[in-house]
Amino acid sequence: MPQNFDSNMSPDTHNEDNISQPCSEWQPLRMLLAAGEELNPAEQARIAGHVAHCAACSAALGRDNALLALLAEHHSEPDATLLASCRASLEDALDRQEERGWLRRTFAVLLPSSWISPRPAWSGAVLLLIGFSVGMLAPRLLLYRPATPAVSGNAAAPAVSAGNGSPSMAAGAQSNSASSAPAALDLHTADVAGINVFPSGDQGPPRVELRLRAQQPITVQGTIDDDDVKSVLLNVLRESDRFCPDPDVRLDAVSLLRARHNDPDVRAVLCQAVHSDRNAAVRRKALEALDGADPQDLVRDTLLDALAADEDPGVRIEAVRLLREMAARGQMASDDRVLALLRDRMQKDPSPAVRLQTAAALRALAPPPDAP
Amino acid sequence: MGPGAMSVALDADARQAAAAKLAEEQALVRKAQAGDRLAFDDLVRRYDRDVLRLALNLVHRPEDARDIYQESFLKAYRNLPRFRFECSFYTWLYRIVTNVALDHLRRRTSRHEDQAPVYAEDDGGTHDFFDRQPQTSAAANPEKRLLGQQLGRHIAEAMKRLSPRERIVFEMKHHHGLRLRAIGDLLGTSEDTVKNSLFRATRKLRESLDAFR
Repeated sequence: MPQNFDSNMSPDTHNEDNISQPCSEWQPLRMLLAAGEELNPAEQARIAGHVAHCAACSAALGRDNALLALLAEHHSEPDATLLASCRASLEDALDRQEERGWLRRTFAVLLPSSWISPRPAWSGAVLLLIGFSVGMLAPRLLLYRPATPAVSGNAAAPAVSAGNGSPSMAAGAQSNSASSAPAALDLHTADVAGINVFPSGDQGPPRVELRLRAQQPITVQGTIDDDDVKSVLLNVLRESDRFCPDPDVRLDAVSLLRARHNDPDVRAVLCQAVHSDRNAAVRRKALEALDGADPQDLVRDTLLDALAADEDPGVRIEAVRLLREMAARGQMASDDRVLALLRDRMQKDPSPAVRLQTAAALRALAPPPDAP
Repeated sequence: MGPGAMSVALDADARQAAAAKLAEEQALVRKAQAGDRLAFDDLVRRYDRDVLRLALNLVHRPEDARDIYQESFLKAYRNLPRFRFECSFYTWLYRIVTNVALDHLRRRTSRHEDQAPVYAEDDGGTHDFFDRQPQTSAAANPEKRLLGQQLGRHIAEAMKRLSPRERIVFEMKHHHGLRLRAIGDLLGTSEDTVKNSLFRATRKLRESLDAFR
């Protein structure tokens, strides 16, 4: 059966010079026969048998073969010049391509995308490591200050160390380590975690260890005579709300500062504590620490303020007691202001204990009515 | 040894030779894939004459043929690492060439600028590429030479009436000897579609060149 490739194809309509038209139904097979090597033996036998008996198809096949021969005769073969020219152009283009490829590979190695995106796990691990390292090292580098050389023979030099060293370790380091300048203590970004006091075995001042919380924990060691220690203790009372919210630590600070109550800075801070510390025990302790400090007028005024205004009766009683002792030691004159306040408290203080204490103080301080 | 036995022996030799040639070509391709430029050059030399002939007879202009030649081999060079030996290198290369040529022909068709391939000659006349082709049989006879030039121009005109696909199918079938199934593989289409294209191409050429037969 002849093949029909395309139902829309019309049979040969051009002007055949034969008497009869070739058979259109055999045209596809005829064309494939002319094309060669496309028909199976059965198809080839069929079309050969038909052509042998059909003059029109035989003539058409002859014309097809003539057409193909004509086209083959005029088929273009590239001349050597054109081929050589094409090869030379291709060589140049390939050279440029190789050069661009080399540059692209070189730059691709340098681009982050070439080593991040294909290996996300390794890249993520490296980035994590970098972040961890920066997080750990940056605060140390930011807080680092070059240490000043230790003064030879200054056994009392304070030691300031970073880290969580034990007291013994820190104390051991104190005698050998370099001292730090007071300016090195950045107290604005720290608060006090605790105070340890170690009695001295040779009648000397006790050793103090102050542990400060900061980005990097700081330990300050020394005696109350050391400026660093004093500076931290003063700050404990001066900025109690932010720097030292723990009243026990403030009580310890007051106890330690008592030894230096004649120091103007210490005295001012103790007076401030009497006036403004929110904890009554600290205020009372600060009053005790002021006992015996100079100038006496300043101390006396602080005692009177406490007696007149402190809301805690224990503080007011302590103020009355100290007034009496100072008067007994001859450190305070019982002038009209003192006596007027004592009388006022004796009559108006809400606390019976305060009224009793002020009455006793009046009897001791006021001159007898029959005195000359 | 009878004629049948001799034929079988010859077939076996031919198969062995083909297998050896294929193995050698695959080794070359592998070298080229590994970056051996000389190996790629060797592959180019094996097939570039066929590629240029195909391009030249498709577009009839040496400049365009050179473009197709160069673009095809550059594409082959760039894509060679992706060649997986699922077909012969020849088939893979011809697939690239036919795609490049089809694109080129379609672009030319869409531009509607044809392409009459003219060259200024010393005699002041204009002649196309076919005029410059050696016509050895007619060279001694000026009348035959002129007739050959006219026929060459008519053939070029007739080829222009074919669609790009028809032109490629006809060229590959009749001048490169490819089977229709292989042409279908190259063009990514069925054998029947290729047959239809060949049928239409043959009919158009027959109509155009009827007077010259």
